[in-house]
Amino acid sequence: MWRDLVDLLWQAYEQFGFLPLFIQVAFSLIIVAILATITAYSSILYKRYQAYVHEKRLNFITPKLEDLITEQVLLNEKLSMGVPVDEIEFDPVPLSDKIYKKIWVRQVMIDVLIQYRKNFRGDVGELLRKLYIDMELTKDSFEKMKTMRWERKIKAVIELTQMNIPISDVTILPLTNSPNPLLRAVARNAYIQLSKNEPFKFFDIATEPLLPWDQLEMFRIITTTKDIMIPNFSRWISYSTNKSIVAFCLKLIAHYDQKTAIPAVMDLLNNKDHYFRAEAINCLGKLSAEIAEVRLVKIYEHQPLNCQIEILRATGMIASGKYLDFLKHELMYSTNFDIRMAATRAIINHDSDESAAIIKEVMNTTYEENRIIIKHCLNPLIRN
Amino acid sequence: MMDSIYRFFAGGTFWDILGTFYQSAVFVYGFTLLMAYALLAAMSLTSIRNYMKKNASVNYDVIVESPLAPGISVIAPAFNEGVTIIQNVRSLLTLNYPKFEVIIINDGSTDDTLDKLIEEFQMIQVDYAYRQKLNCEMVTRIFKSTNHAYDKLIVVDKVNGKSKADASNAGINVSAYDYFLCTDVDCILDKDTLIKLIKPFMDQETVKIKELGEHCPECGYVMTQELHRRVIATGATLRMVNSCEVDEGLITRVKPPVRYLPRFQEMEYIRAFVLGKMGWDLINCVPNVSGGLGLFDKEIAVMAGGYDPKSFGEDMDLITRMGAFMKDNRKRYSIRYVPLTLCWTEGPTTMKVFGRQRSRWARGMAQIMSIHRRIIANPRYGNLGMIVFVYHFLFELLAPIVEFTGVLFYIYLIITGQINWPFAIILIVFVYTYSVMITTLALLWDQITFKYYKSWKETIGLCLMAFLEPFIYHPLIVFFSMKGYFNFVTGRKHTWGDMQRQGFGNQQKKKR
Repeated sequence: MWRDLVDLLWQAYEQFGFLPLFIQVAFSLIIVAILATITAYSSILYKRYQAYVHEKRLNFITPKLEDLITEQVLLNEKLSMGVPVDEIEFDPVPLSDKIYKKIWVRQVMIDVLIQYRKNFRGDVGELLRKLYIDMELTKDSFEKMKTMRWERKIKAVIELTQMNIPISDVTILPLTNSPNPLLRAVARNAYIQLSKNEPFKFFDIATEPLLPWDQLEMFRIITTTKDIMIPNFSRWISYSTNKSIVAFCLKLIAHYDQKTAIPAVMDLLNNKDHYFRAEAINCLGKLSAEIAEVRLVKIYEHQPLNCQIEILRATGMIASGKYLDFLKHELMYSTNFDIRMAATRAIINHDSDESAAIIKEVMNTTYEENRIIIKHCLNPLIRN
Repeated sequence: MMDSIYRFFAGGTFWDILGTFYQSAVFVYGFTLLMAYALLAAMSLTSIRNYMKKNASVNYDVIVESPLAPGISVIAPAFNEGVTIIQNVRSLLTLNYPKFEVIIINDGSTDDTLDKLIEEFQMIQVDYAYRQKLNCEMVTRIFKSTNHAYDKLIVVDKVNGKSKADASNAGINVSAYDYFLCTDVDCILDKDTLIKLIKPFMDQETVKIKELGEHCPECGYVMTQELHRRVIATGATLRMVNSCEVDEGLITRVKPPVRYLPRFQEMEYIRAFVLGKMGWDLINCVPNVSGGLGLFDKEIAVMAGGYDPKSFGEDMDLITRMGAFMKDNRKRYSIRYVPLTLCWTEGPTTMKVFGRQRSRWARGMAQIMSIHRRIIANPRYGNLGMIVFVYHFLFELLAPIVEFTGVLFYIYLIITGQINWPFAIILIVFVYTYSVMITTLALLWDQITFKYYKSWKETIGLCLMAFLEPFIYHPLIVFFSMKGYFNFVTGRKHTWGDMQRQGFGNQQKKKR
């Protein structure tokens, strides 16, 4: 049967030019499909082989590198004797091994050093950094910075940041506004970590958005990096034209409880973007801005639902007790379920005799659905 | 030219002309379909490479400890899942994410599903302020645990709604967070599922608003329009759990299924998700987020009306309505796909269950095309109308019909001796080699994302199924699709039937 098929294909090949067009096309695509399938099989096997070789190489070199780090850094006698890190010299013999000249080994070395540095701070961390510098691995990282490929640049910025190697403003600042969102995010994080004087300088020039995912990393870096100068974030609230930067600053203001920023945040209540306004209201609530309470209640009536709910939450967080009647009114008479829930929570948040009395009173006078809302909000097992 | 057209029409009887026309139309149809697959393969490769490059340097751990992480409600309906429910809920509770709740909807189970949940997780009935935003059967009770270790768990007991959609709607009504993940309670999720699926939502640009018209002089209200592209749903690849090694609700070793039927399904899933959905992802035309695993923007899902309990393809129906809602309101949106396998599900192992599932899917497709026919080729709906629906109408809905009639016509030609055997064989070889190529490419793309199978023998073993598929699996799919269409046209009552789960615990015991 196979022989017949091959004969048929051979005949078709010989008479190819005389065949109808659709048969010519089909015939050509058979060849393409067979070649593509063979290539795909080869690629699958080759990729698996490549992964196997890579793993084997790693299994060979990683213990060697770990031994080197253990001997030179972790068990360094001078370090345990209290000699300053700058004055410690590494044993040149193991470091001059030819294997450390290979590019792939140097890359593994950088990765291993970064892993160690994540786990060791203080003098050990500094000695790891010194080893990185003495082995001239900085050159490898800076070399990557010069390439046109963004993923290599990202790798370089991460390596230099992890190793706390300063990058000049001329190099890093343009990257903080890169059109590539990944490179931009990494550069911004690096700038905050590495810049000694003005870590938030790029906030002034940032025109590209700060994506919500990038805010996670930046928030972590800002709130966990030691010796970072925390500025008054209200200056960007007032003057930045980049909405995402302003939104991020609102989160930082709330986190650092910067009460001096309240007037600037209150200015955002006039903003036409209701998502943005809701964030500002939320920030005022977290700041317990009693001064803003009267304004919040005043604008309440004309706000869209998301802002109204945020106002109720904020009133609950501020908990001055001045607007309990307003909250009670919303609980009893609002036709919107979410508003009644938010108003109930706000009253309960006041945690005062007056608020308890209101809850008790409403429980006795209101209808069944509101009673269940109150029970729901009072139940410690239900958090949301 | 005119001469050839004349000869074409004047050359024979009406049936000859019809036959020639049919053959030419089928050739054009088939050729276009195969070219579309080639295009999808190229697009999916680009999409996968982009994803891998972009995510190589991403630190996913950062969200785990962040106070800025958005909350997610995990919704898992359960109907008579007493055998595996405890293990499955435990697995869901250990998802790696800082802010989530797990909502199990007991959809009127007649076994001990609810009793087991109450006993195991120390649940008590609570006064829960339940608001029915989406239609579903009556919710009778809501339970919370008295043990703080399970404070993320909510159990909803409701009257059986005879569909997963109905139970999912009840879950959405109870959910507290802005995003909800819909899954099946018997699915095994990767620990980082929520992290991986929420990222596309957080990669979208911050909200941009444009004002339309003047402010109202009395209240100051002004009409606004959202300018940013809002991510409304994300999904990821599903795979068969049938032969995987599972321990305490965790996959410890991924293996392709040993039995033929789930093995074919594994191959088909990889092709559909890795090659199909990822290809569509590149041009923002993802047609569907699987019912087994999907993360949704709750606000849009609720405004679009949630799941339709009467739909046989509730997952695609929801996505279609969400997309149509966005377009009707002149909002830009996207649906994103992740090429990683984040969910393992048990594939049917018997022909009866498999046939029922595929007939239901086909019926669902016909139903969706019928209900949303206004979207087909309607430029008002952008990509959804002009690409997604046109493609699905031509190449998903009509394909089994064209294929079925094609086979009948082939038989007729053979019987009447009209067939040109050399050409016919060349065309059959062409279709066969091409389909093998597409499936093999899909498996290669899958290898690029992650090497799920430990040995090369397992990988190649799965690849070889592509050679058998056109003879064994594909005819089954066509048959059951035709059955589904028949049921749709005749309005035959559908019975959901029992999935007859093996249970991972049992599976593990058997292995031991």
